[in-house]
Amino acid sequence: MTTVTDMQFGLGLRHQHYQEIADAPGRVDWFEALSENYMVAGGRPLVWLDRIRRDYPMALHGVSLSIGASDPLDLGYLAQLKALAARVEPRVVSDHLCFTGHAGINLHDLLPLPYTEEALAHVAARVGQVQDVLGRRILLENVSSYVRYADSQLSEWEFLAVLAERADCDILLDVNNIYVSAFNHEFDPHAYLAAIPPARVKQIHLAGHSHMGTHIIDTHDHPVIDDVWTLYAEALRRFGPVPTMIERDDDIPPYADLVAELDQARRIAQATLMTPEKAA
Amino acid sequence: MSALSALQEEFAAWMRSTPESADALRARVLDTEKADRDTLLAVYRDAYALRLIEALTTDFPGLLAMAGPAEFDLMARAYIAAHPSTHPSVRWFGRNLADFLAHTPPFSATPAAADMARFEWALGEAFDAADAEPLTFEQLAAAPAEAWGSLRLSFVPSLRRLTLSYQVPQAFQRRDAVAPGELEVPAEETAVDWLIWRPMADADAQFRSMAPDEVVALDAMYGGASFPMMCAVLAEHAGSPEAAAERAAGLLRVWLDAGLIDDAAWD
Repeated sequence: MTTVTDMQFGLGLRHQHYQEIADAPGRVDWFEALSENYMVAGGRPLVWLDRIRRDYPMALHGVSLSIGASDPLDLGYLAQLKALAARVEPRVVSDHLCFTGHAGINLHDLLPLPYTEEALAHVAARVGQVQDVLGRRILLENVSSYVRYADSQLSEWEFLAVLAERADCDILLDVNNIYVSAFNHEFDPHAYLAAIPPARVKQIHLAGHSHMGTHIIDTHDHPVIDDVWTLYAEALRRFGPVPTMIERDDDIPPYADLVAELDQARRIAQATLMTPEKAA
Repeated sequence: MSALSALQEEFAAWMRSTPESADALRARVLDTEKADRDTLLAVYRDAYALRLIEALTTDFPGLLAMAGPAEFDLMARAYIAAHPSTHPSVRWFGRNLADFLAHTPPFSATPAAADMARFEWALGEAFDAADAEPLTFEQLAAAPAEAWGSLRLSFVPSLRRLTLSYQVPQAFQRRDAVAPGELEVPAEETAVDWLIWRPMADADAQFRSMAPDEVVALDAMYGGASFPMMCAVLAEHAGSPEAAAERAAGLLRVWLDAGLIDDAAWD
């Protein structure tokens, strides 16, 4: 069983930091590579991926699986993902609970699904297909969303919890996304955490966002805010020492800044999981 | 059509600003106490365009330096509308841009833009083409004498050949030294042939122009011709078989040293 002392803290692998990662091993326990960035034939991206993989465990995180789309699954994409997973031997392979395109057009965004029985059955069946092709369980991540549909019959957390059990997949819980969507859709983030089956949560994401006053946009271009750290502590109390990483995709700061931000996650985990509340 | 598919079709149409379906999606989406549905839906539509424009900005910095941000933005939005992404990776979104610029008014009135797009796309293709372990001079020199009668070459996967009517590569190198929108790209008196390739896995793409006789020699070998056939096409430029053989040997050495040749074979 994982304990707080060997809990793993990671960062998103970004090309701006390749050299520093290679020059300064340690401090970061693992990296999460964006799958699509490495679905290329050769060249520098794969050279660095292989080089950093020699020193660190890795996770693969995709943005184009489009698990909720009504288009057929892209078997070519899945074959590329499977080949990449064979190369990287990642600890987990993840993507998002969303759709990213329609009728052959990729919209390159994580678009929210209606939380209906129809969508649940559709996504569960496709997760099964994907897991059969990849020969492994995948993790699905809750996305930040800006709209809710009148047709939804379930809450997002009910949908995700039922999906994980029905499809036998795991969950990548993005604590910032819960915070963002809770603000946007006026739900209680604590109720969200309480509904998620702990045994399914295999990774946690943290990130910053942009507050627009009337809504929050998940921009990944700022440090994690205090309220999200607080929610993270609550997530750790519920889910235990789950591997955690910080995503930064824009306004990429120096590597040392992200390593320092990751230390904040370590401190919170240490303080949270070593206190008597853990037993409560 | 299922309810899920209908919703996704409406969402895709909204993202792509197809006006007839905006009302259908609006009817499905809820206002919140803080924001109306149009504000919230606009987050997706705005992000859609900005993400794809950013991809083009990354892949076509020379074009951006020619056009300036405002014109580039207009051009990018026209391209997004005409050629929506169909690939799982945004890496490939710009693959039709050069043809789009060449054939679509008003962009086609500036043919240097299409030339720049072709050049920059080829640089990108060379950047992450499959790796190779180029043949060395020593390896080729070790071929038996009788091999030369039928020797054929294969080239590294990153190799690209372009014929450009404008001084695009030279302008590309000046792209950061001029104010956005100020990059001038003069026309060539006659079109020039360029070679683009990546000499090793962890390298940027390289490029250089080629003399006319190198073009015919390379095209012959790339097309599967044998070394004697390459000497024959060179003889038309060199004037004598001896001069052609000397030039052929020189070109082989240049190609080997540049890391262009992947392998050699003979009967």
